[in-house]
This record gives sequence, structure tokens and C-alpha cells, in this order.
Amino acid sequence: MAQLGRAALLLSFALVAYALLGGSLAAWKRRRRLALSAQNALVASFGTTLVAAIVLWVALARRDLSFVYVAQHTSRSLPLGYALSAFWGGQEGSLLLWLLVLTGYASLAVLLNRRTRELIAWTVPVLGGIAVFFALMLCFVSSPFATSAAPADGAGMVPSLQNPYMLAHPPLLYLGYVGLTIPFAFAMGALLARRTDERWIVATRRWTLAAWTFLGVGQLLGAHWAYVEIGWGGYYAWDPVENAALMPWLAATAFLHSVMIQEKRGMLKIWNVTLVALAFCLSIFGTFLTRSGVVNSIHSFSQSPLGGWFLGFISIVTVFSVGLIYIRLPLLRAKTKLESLVSREATFLYNNLLLVALALTILWGVVYPLLTQAVNGETRSVSKPYYDFFLHSFGLPLLLLMGIGPLVAWRRASLRALGKTFAVPAGVSVVTGVVLLALGFGSSTPGLLAYTFSAFVAASIVLEFVRGRRAAGSLTRLVARNRRRYGGYIVHAAILLLAIGVAGSSAYQTIRERTLQPGQSMQAAGYTLTYVSLGTRQLQNAQQTSAVVDVSRGNSHVATLHPGKSWFPVEQSASNDVSIYHDPRSLGDVYTIADRISKSGALDLKVLVKPLVNLVWAAGFIFVFGSLVAMWPDAVEQRKLADRYAAVPV
Amino acid sequence: MIALSVAAVLAIFILYTSIAGAGTPEIGPSTVGRHAGEDVLLVGTVVGHVAGDAHAGGMRFLLKDDHGTSPERTSVLYSGSVPDLFRTGRQIVVEGTLRDGTFVAKPGSLVTKCPSKYTPAKSST
Repeated sequence: MAQLGRAALLLSFALVAYALLGGSLAAWKRRRRLALSAQNALVASFGTTLVAAIVLWVALARRDLSFVYVAQHTSRSLPLGYALSAFWGGQEGSLLLWLLVLTGYASLAVLLNRRTRELIAWTVPVLGGIAVFFALMLCFVSSPFATSAAPADGAGMVPSLQNPYMLAHPPLLYLGYVGLTIPFAFAMGALLARRTDERWIVATRRWTLAAWTFLGVGQLLGAHWAYVEIGWGGYYAWDPVENAALMPWLAATAFLHSVMIQEKRGMLKIWNVTLVALAFCLSIFGTFLTRSGVVNSIHSFSQSPLGGWFLGFISIVTVFSVGLIYIRLPLLRAKTKLESLVSREATFLYNNLLLVALALTILWGVVYPLLTQAVNGETRSVSKPYYDFFLHSFGLPLLLLMGIGPLVAWRRASLRALGKTFAVPAGVSVVTGVVLLALGFGSSTPGLLAYTFSAFVAASIVLEFVRGRRAAGSLTRLVARNRRRYGGYIVHAAILLLAIGVAGSSAYQTIRERTLQPGQSMQAAGYTLTYVSLGTRQLQNAQQTSAVVDVSRGNSHVATLHPGKSWFPVEQSASNDVSIYHDPRSLGDVYTIADRISKSGALDLKVLVKPLVNLVWAAGFIFVFGSLVAMWPDAVEQRKLADRYAAVPV
Repeated sequence: MIALSVAAVLAIFILYTSIAGAGTPEIGPSTVGRHAGEDVLLVGTVVGHVAGDAHAGGMRFLLKDDHGTSPERTSVLYSGSVPDLFRTGRQIVVEGTLRDGTFVAKPGSLVTKCPSKYTPAKSST
């Protein structure tokens, strides 16, 4: 079995190497048949990589412990679903997933764009080159098919990873990370082919949107997993590994906005290719961060020889893309100029600068320990206050821009017209701010600002829909006619909910801790929690001890919670089982953690009351819905594009 | 215009680093002595016996460097939540200040890193 896996990977390596070399030669010498065969090699490499992946999955399902990978990441008592998810639980499997998703995406992108011959000709070798790196790692540096004498049982899986979220969170992140490869490859392919029009953007628009959506949802799932499983009461901790996913997402968000300027006005060409290269580099950097153990992180995967390889690869990619953009600068000059600082284009530009500034300050925070180590031999690191500061100083203006942008006209907006359109949202937000201040929300300035700005954005989105509906007649017709725009507004609404949820649950949360004997109770933000009793339960691979805690508000009982701890004998470790009450009245949570259960039966109970936190998760659903609306194929738009490029010889 | 905005972003950045200082040092037990009285992140491996109660009077344990063979040990006094994975032999990070030879940790700042069991077996500490 392992031989089959190894052979399949070697074949993949040969195929993608052929796509790189053959594809380059074909594009350079304009050999059509060679180009076709390079494309076919890329498609075939998906097949061989899939065979390798199936071999690994079968080995995991059968707990074939002669595979070192299987022995290190599973055990005989591990439930089947988690055993299968061990595919992305370790380094070798993760790399294989990268290659699998990459070759899958690449095949699909090639098959869908075969007709744009000139563009695809140089895109194929770029995709091949990226795949060569991962295939090389899998074949010669970090093979998932290493074998040894089978031990009696495997090492098992870290208990906190034994969670349904782990079935979906890592693959979604990978779909996002790897998805950013496609727009990058097309951008580089277009530059190599000297085609600097917006064709590559049109060809990859949905890819970018899909990758961005996967990355966003993947992170939100990860945040939710951390919230319900890790049990410290938060969902984002500015950990390097979390930041690793956030940075490319921010860069991709900037890219999604700036390409609209290039499509509409032919501006920002240099900026767009730079952004897409930045997003791709950040996604490789993210993989590097999670896999190298170079930065202290609570995720801290094993130190591995891969670090140097990744660093080398990132350097090559950076030098290649910067060099290529530099060589093609003359072709990328914009034909039109920004006409006014008060225009739709300008707001897009501000949005881009803020997003990139946020991504880069996060990057600075992540690499800061490495830099200080290199410069004066002493590692220094930044933490929450640093990130919070920049989130407030860049994130809050971004939030406000989300409301301003859609109201400003293209090219040049007259101030008088602006005054008129801004009157309603501005009025709504001022009233909201004053009311909140009167209610005592002034305890947190960023929180109050976030709420006030949110009111502005909400009013502006509603206004856009109302105006559009008046013009189009009905809401469905309005959205159907301009899916991208109104899908975008729906996504804005999701980001708005996210901002409100984050502000509410961080700026206005209440934390209480107490040691309770059975029968005793404690108070937290209007809730009374009473520790009733203790119980134990045997699970398939763990022993669970949990407390019974009654929650009441006023005089009425609202919920019974069961915070506790589980002990995993195979893995020799414990995990916190938090218990949460979702209050439908406040959209907030009562979050309980059994910090310690002593032998005498005393319970150290930690309670967090987090207002509005459920909006964060609700935002996820609206986010996906909005993205789908924006991505849905649009017949009118396709026809328009077909007309536009009909005259252009391909 | 772009140059102006970039300058503004940089200005905010420099403003922050000048007000808030430039990060917290991350150090091991062998060098923590040089930072007595400062707020630092202490990184190391738990050795020996863990005594006391983190929820009553504080938990005490010794830390050594993660790497190298330095004989230095730092005594840590900690109170607050103890992560599930905390025990002798685990690598941890804790924030606090060295005072009179004892590292007094900020409550709740203890973080454990992934157990070495999941790295190749030979790297046992």
C-alpha cells in the first residue's frame, strides 16, 4: 500500500515538473500541441495525487499502524471520523492536502479557461512550478508514506482536536489558502504573456471570491471551535497561527475591492498584481508559520526541517513576482487618473490602504520576535494590546468606510449631493451614539465607536436597498440584476454583524470566578449560577466528570449547564468541557468553565457573560449567503463580457 | 495622495511604538536574572515537583531552558487558571516579573505549548 502511495506521488512530481518545463517551453516557443500536453499533465497530476490521498485515507481508516504517520496521529480506540481527519492533523498529511487541492483547482481552472489560449499558456507553468515545490517536499523531505514496524497502538490524537469542527475547519482553510494560488498564477501568467488588461481578473474573479469565502468561513469555524472547545472563553487570541490565516484574508479583501476599480476605470493595475502576489505570499507564509514552529504559538506544531525549504520557496516567489512586476511596469501604467479625493474610487483606495496597513502591522507583530532575535539576540514579542491598538485605529475607520463607500458617486462626487445622502445615516448614528452613551456604554470608547459606526453602516446599506428597490420594482429583481453589487452589500451586512458581535463580546463582557461547594451560588451580570452536584460518565475514549450548574435570571430558572473535564487515558491528557447557555433575549452567552474540580467536590467555576457574541456566528451564515449571491453565474454579465472581448483576438 | 496616506499609517505606527514601547522580551530561565523587575515572558520547561494550589495561595514550580544545558532554574509563583496540558516536562510560557529571586506571574497568563509527545519521540525533555 505504502509503495502505491509513494509511486503515485513520484508520478505527480514528474507530471507537475513536466507542466512547468514543457509548459514554459510551449509558451515561449508558441507550440500549441506541447502547451496542450502540459495542460493535460496538470490535470493528470490531480488523478495521481488523488490516488496517493486515497491510500493515506484507507490506511487511516484501517489504522494501519505500519504507516508512521498513522501510528503518530491515531490510535485504535479513536473514532473513525477523527481518524480520517488525522489526514490534516499532521505535517505530511497537510502537505498532501495542499497538493491535492492545488492540483484539483489547477485542473479545473485549466479546463474552464482553455479557450483563452494566450493567458493560460503561461499560467500552466506557474501553477506547475508551485505544485513542484509541494510534490518535492512530499516525495523527498516529508513523506506521509514512511513505514516502520507497527507499534501495539498509536499515539492518539490531541483531545482538543477530537471535535467535529476539526473535520471542517482545516480543509476549509486549505481550500482558501490554496485557492489564492489561482488568481496569483493567472496574474503572473498574464504578465508573462504581456496581457495586462483586466482579462485575468475576469477569469479569476469567482476563484478569488470562492477562496476568500472559504478562508473567511474556515477562520470563523476555527474561532467557534476555540470558543466551544479550548475553553478559555474567547474566540480569537492574536496567536501567530490565527494571524497566519487573517493576513491573506485581509489582503484578498483588499484585492476583491481594488479589482473593481481596474474593471470599471482601468486604474490600479500595478496595485492589483502587487496585492495578488502579496495575498499569495502571505498564504504560503501562513503555511510556513504553522508548519515550521519558528514562532512561539499555542498551536506550536513540531519543529521540522520544512522551515528552511518554505523560507526558500517564499523568497523565490517574492523575487519572481516583484521582478516580473518591475519588468512589466511600462505595460501596467494606468490610462486614467484619480479625478477627486471625494469619489467612489478614492474610498476604495482608502479601504485598500487600511486593509493592507492592518495586514502588514499584523505581519510585523508576527515576525517581531524573529527580527529582534536576529538584530540584538534577544527575543521580544508583542501581544494583545499591540494588535488591539491597530485593530481599533485601522479597523474602526474601515467599518465607517463600509458605510460611506456605497453612497459616494464614481469619478467626482459633489459635496452637496453627499450632504443629502449622508443625512439619514449620519442622523441614525448620532442618535444611536447618544442613546448608548445615556445607557452607560461609554465604559469602552472603541466599543461605543464600533456601535455608532455600525448604525451608520446599517443605515447606509438599508438606504441602498430601498433606493435600488424603488428603481427596480422588487427586491429579488434588484438583486438578480446586479448580483455582485448586492451580494457585496449582504457581505457588508455580515461584516457589520461581526463587528457588533466582536465589540459586544469583548468590550462589554463580564468575568467572574469563585470556588463553590455544592449548594452555593454566585452572581455574574444579572445571572445567578448555583452549583448543584457532580457526576461522572464513561465515553468511548475518555472519562468525563461534570458539574450540574443551575442558571437563573431574576427569579426564573433559565438553563442547566454541565461544565466539566474529560480525561483521555491513551493520550494521557485532560480537556476542558465548557458549557454554554445561549440567551435568546440578549443574543449573548453565559459561558461556564470548570477550572478545577477538587476531590472533596469543590468546584472552581469561571463564568463569562458575553453580550451579542452569537452575532459573530450568525454573521458567518450571512457572509456565505452574500458570497454565493455575488458568485452566482450571471447571464447578463457573461454576455456583456463576451461582447467586450469578441473584438479582442485571442 | 497615496504617499500621504502611507505617511499617515506610518505615523500611527511610530506613535504606537513610542508610547507603548517595543514589545515584551521572551526569555528563558538562564537569562531572566538580567531582567529583574521588568515585565517579561518567561519561556521554559517545567522540572521537578509542582507544589501548592493555583487557586489558593499560588502554585510553585521550577522552570529550565527549553534548549541547551544551562543549569539555571527559575522558581515561579503562579495563580489563576491552569491549562489542561500543564505538568512536569511540558514547555510553557508565562508572563510576569522577577522579584527577589522568584518569578511572580500575572494571574491567568500561563500557556502550555503542544506536548513533546507529538514531536519525534527522541526529543523527550
